[in-house]
Amino acid sequence: MAKIDVIMPQLGESLTEGTIIKWHKKPGDKVKKDETLLEISTDKVDSEIPSPTTGVVTRLLFAEQATVAVREVIAEIDTDASAKAESGPPAAKPSPAKGSKPAASVPAAPQPATPAPSPSPAASSPSPADAAKGRFYSPLVLNIARTEGIPMQELETVPGTGEGGRVSKKDLQAYLVARKSGGQMPAPGPAFGGAPPPPPEHSPAPAAPRIESMLKPVDGGELAKKFPQPGHEIRQMSNILMKMSEHMVRSVHTSPHVFAVHECDMTNVDMVRRRNAGAFQKREGFKLTYTPFICDAIVRAIKEFPLVNSQVEGDKIVIKKFINLGMAVASENGLIVPVIKNAEEKNFVGIARAINDLATRARTKRLTPSDIEGGSFTVTNYGVFGTMVGLPIINQPQVAILGTGSIEKRAVVIDDAIAIRSMAYFTLAFDHRILDGALGGSFMEAVVRNLESYDRNQVV
Amino acid sequence: MATRVTTNKKSPPAGGRTRGSAGPAAAARTPNGSLAKSDLLALYRYMVLMREFEDTIIRLYTQGKIVGGAYTGNGNEATAVGSAYALSDGDYLFPMHRDMGAHFVRGQSVDNLMLMHLARKGSLTEGRDGTGHYTDRDLRIFGNISHLGAMLPVACGIGLAVKLRKERNVVMTYIGDGGSNVGEVHESLAMASAMRLPLVLVIENNQYAYSTPVSRQFIVERLSSRAAGYGIPGKTVDGTDVLAVYHACREAVARARAMRGPSIVESVTMRMHGHAAHDNAWYVPPKELAAWKRKDPIARFEKVLTGKGVLTAAMKKQLVAELRSGIEKSAAAALDLPYPPAEDALRGVFFEPPAR
Amino acid sequence: MAMLTYIEAINEGLRDEMRLDPTVFLLGEDIGAYGGAFKATKGLLEEFGADRVIDTVLAEGAIIGAATGSALAGLKPVAEMQFSDFVSNGFNQLVNVTAKYHYRNFIPVPMVVRLPSGGGIRGGPFHSANTEAWFFHTPGLKLVAPSTPYDAKGLIRAAIREPNPVLYFEYKYLYRHIKSEVPDGDYEVPIGAADIKRTGSDITVITYGTGVHWSLEAAETLSREGVEVEVLDLRTLMPFDRKAVLSSVEKTGKVLIVHEANLTGGVGAELSAFIGAEAFRHLDAPVRRLASPDTPVPYAPPLEDAFLPNAQKTAEALRSLAAY
Repeated sequence: MAKIDVIMPQLGESLTEGTIIKWHKKPGDKVKKDETLLEISTDKVDSEIPSPTTGVVTRLLFAEQATVAVREVIAEIDTDASAKAESGPPAAKPSPAKGSKPAASVPAAPQPATPAPSPSPAASSPSPADAAKGRFYSPLVLNIARTEGIPMQELETVPGTGEGGRVSKKDLQAYLVARKSGGQMPAPGPAFGGAPPPPPEHSPAPAAPRIESMLKPVDGGELAKKFPQPGHEIRQMSNILMKMSEHMVRSVHTSPHVFAVHECDMTNVDMVRRRNAGAFQKREGFKLTYTPFICDAIVRAIKEFPLVNSQVEGDKIVIKKFINLGMAVASENGLIVPVIKNAEEKNFVGIARAINDLATRARTKRLTPSDIEGGSFTVTNYGVFGTMVGLPIINQPQVAILGTGSIEKRAVVIDDAIAIRSMAYFTLAFDHRILDGALGGSFMEAVVRNLESYDRNQVV
Repeated sequence: MATRVTTNKKSPPAGGRTRGSAGPAAAARTPNGSLAKSDLLALYRYMVLMREFEDTIIRLYTQGKIVGGAYTGNGNEATAVGSAYALSDGDYLFPMHRDMGAHFVRGQSVDNLMLMHLARKGSLTEGRDGTGHYTDRDLRIFGNISHLGAMLPVACGIGLAVKLRKERNVVMTYIGDGGSNVGEVHESLAMASAMRLPLVLVIENNQYAYSTPVSRQFIVERLSSRAAGYGIPGKTVDGTDVLAVYHACREAVARARAMRGPSIVESVTMRMHGHAAHDNAWYVPPKELAAWKRKDPIARFEKVLTGKGVLTAAMKKQLVAELRSGIEKSAAAALDLPYPPAEDALRGVFFEPPAR
Repeated sequence: MAMLTYIEAINEGLRDEMRLDPTVFLLGEDIGAYGGAFKATKGLLEEFGADRVIDTVLAEGAIIGAATGSALAGLKPVAEMQFSDFVSNGFNQLVNVTAKYHYRNFIPVPMVVRLPSGGGIRGGPFHSANTEAWFFHTPGLKLVAPSTPYDAKGLIRAAIREPNPVLYFEYKYLYRHIKSEVPDGDYEVPIGAADIKRTGSDITVITYGTGVHWSLEAAETLSREGVEVEVLDLRTLMPFDRKAVLSSVEKTGKVLIVHEANLTGGVGAELSAFIGAEAFRHLDAPVRRLASPDTPVPYAPPLEDAFLPNAQKTAEALRSLAAY
């Protein structure tokens, strides 16, 4: 009998654990290679995990809702067995867990062939033995770990820079920032919120402690006294919301926001889009929308004004040679901001394909954490909600975000004649620490020019 | 500099707080300081009251009803009463622990002092302190603390306030033979004399500081001679003779009131018992005690009053009965009162002004 | 606004309160015609006369007792100890009479004792002491310790207006070493309120008096090294600002307590115990203290320099805590 272990995948470099949302198979079920075996959630991203092999599921080692360290065995598939539920414990496992109540009773199942690179023990919950490991944690570090739901075994893996390798508050905070950046980023609630910040690539947010203090837990009982029912309803903020709060406040505290609103005549784009719609869909297999036009126009404008594609580091400006264009996409989890990587290398169709791919996977929960990492500029389309003019918040550590309002037919004056045109208001929110109105305006003029100068007869 | 002393805002204790309930306050005196018949009777009454009150305190102590110790002044009645009687309305009294009679002379009630000794709720200190350790700003009585001499600098401060406000009041304070060696006594006399503060210091030389006889405390013949070191008058009087004490203090008070500075009056008497009720004074030679017993201040004054025809045996009998009954009633009422509640202990370290 | 030295600010605070309230008067040794050993009361005799700026005999017990007595009589005395060291001669008065008065008798004692404190002036074992810990342990006394001219003036005014006895620790080393803008008008620095003299996110220094200046200097040094230090100036030692202490500790997780007074049994010991008890879960490092060692203040310059904390020692302590 060939037995294959299914392990908790690491969905992102810095991720250390995942939560099992749903098992699609139960012991005894047949499963095909690449067929969805389970859904997991890492921070905000829900991902369907395909089966690594074809066979029969013999054991599920963790129940739904269990949070499991990456690389841990979570299920076993017998590639030889026929579709018959386990008639006895698999030979390799001396004491299989009964039922699906796992965590504490899970037998350690290291694979002899692959020695674990991480020092983390197999058990996922802290045990008294953990305390005896000799590593000292300050009350604060333990407190943060508890609040953030970090099990002892994970804490053991956090690198320490303090005295004697101690994990300091800063170490843990840096770890948490990195850990979160490995997962799906929180989506902003309101359309006006702009895009949520992607994780800083190199420097964890220095302002983290201040932000953390903003969202101190409030005593629910006290609050209930102050805001009694039935006139009030008190809700716990979700992680997504809390993260959004923190990121938004941080951005506003970090960057002096300036807004430039430009009007754009989208009539030509609209014309090109409609004329090419049929052929495009036939050729590419998806609908041609306004978005690739706008993204393409932005990418070209960034090439003209590279400073908007940068970030501030102390007294230095880091200008990115690549254009990783973040794009707000509505999903059932809220807004997600997948990133079109190296957009500067893509032509119009390349950009359109990338957008379609990311949007599809966002809707079907198949985004990987790397899909939302590393943005260098963000575009947010609140026009889809009917918003005409918005004032988005910069997605730190970027220095500018472009928001697109609804495209509507308006009467405009062209050459002293009134004409009906498809118009939209675009807003650039930019960081006045390094960008001024001249640059912001010029950049926007370039975007608008790029869009308005489409030839109606262009084939895309 | 015109602020008057304000009253001590406290609700009266449940046992009632009748001022001078056990006798009249300082009676009218003739302008030259000589005493009328009513004054003589008042002096006598206060001395008897002091002894009767303290005898009751000792009895309550032996019955286990007094909190802590019982410090009394048998033998000191003439000194306590005669000195305080030399004060006038508005004067300040800083008595010591053997001066219960002085409290009464200045208008303190038996009830209040009983509550103090029994540490009951509603006492002047609400049970935070006992015996005569209280301050009653209405009566201008600033009781001692256990640290001998510690209130003398405070008495100087009151004297300074009187002087700065150009008032005409006198501050009378006391120290024992033992306590007279405490540094603050010297500091206070130095300050009071240099500033000419209206202070009278009565040194109650009652032969023993706890167990230590005066022979081991100082080698001067008279403690009053220390006054010379401050350039102020010092006089030694027979402390068993209430009239001698009164007249000496009267003189010192007059000088102080005239803003001519402090004086010392040494009143020589005997502590007729141990330091406190727990101390049987075995260290005092019986002969010495017997000799002083013959000079008992109350018996001695009785003789004077009887000789003058001011006091009769019937009057004495009636007075003692009346005082005893009042004291008994007061003790019974106080014993019926509860101690302060435990949660009270944490209150009042600081004055907290009422919220506006 | 005027630029005032620390001692000028005290002088101005005294003057302002004396103008405002006729019951305020000063007493102490050499404070009148001579203007005080350090000239803190300079010019006040001339303005207010000998009845309100009183030269007393050399007797600290009598001075403090007289302050207590006159306060009981309704005046508002401000007594000066020529040197904080000499308050030991008035110790009995303060701890047994003054401090216990309200608790025993429910009578407020509105008085101030000024205590020129601290070393750095080559004063030796009897002119350099920091005596706050003796009284910190005594219920019934409020203790303030300003570090700047602004606080010095605001706190002397608040102390005089306070209905309870206040010990006002002032720092001889700061008298003429620091100068700052001080408002002309009527303001007070409330007793019991700490002040964040510098904000920072990495380590909290809790300090007062001269320690504030060492800490601020050290914080600048550390900032250049990438460590942001918050300097919390207690200003009032008793009752100290528990809320401010806790909120800063919760923010940074690391605490260094700096004071000039001797280490053992000092104010820092109580702060440390308080933080350990109330903010344990927020601590990322042991609470550390930097204070003078447990010796008397020595006289010879190299000895005194070795004895006193300073900005460099503070910076070292901060570095070590940052690295923890």
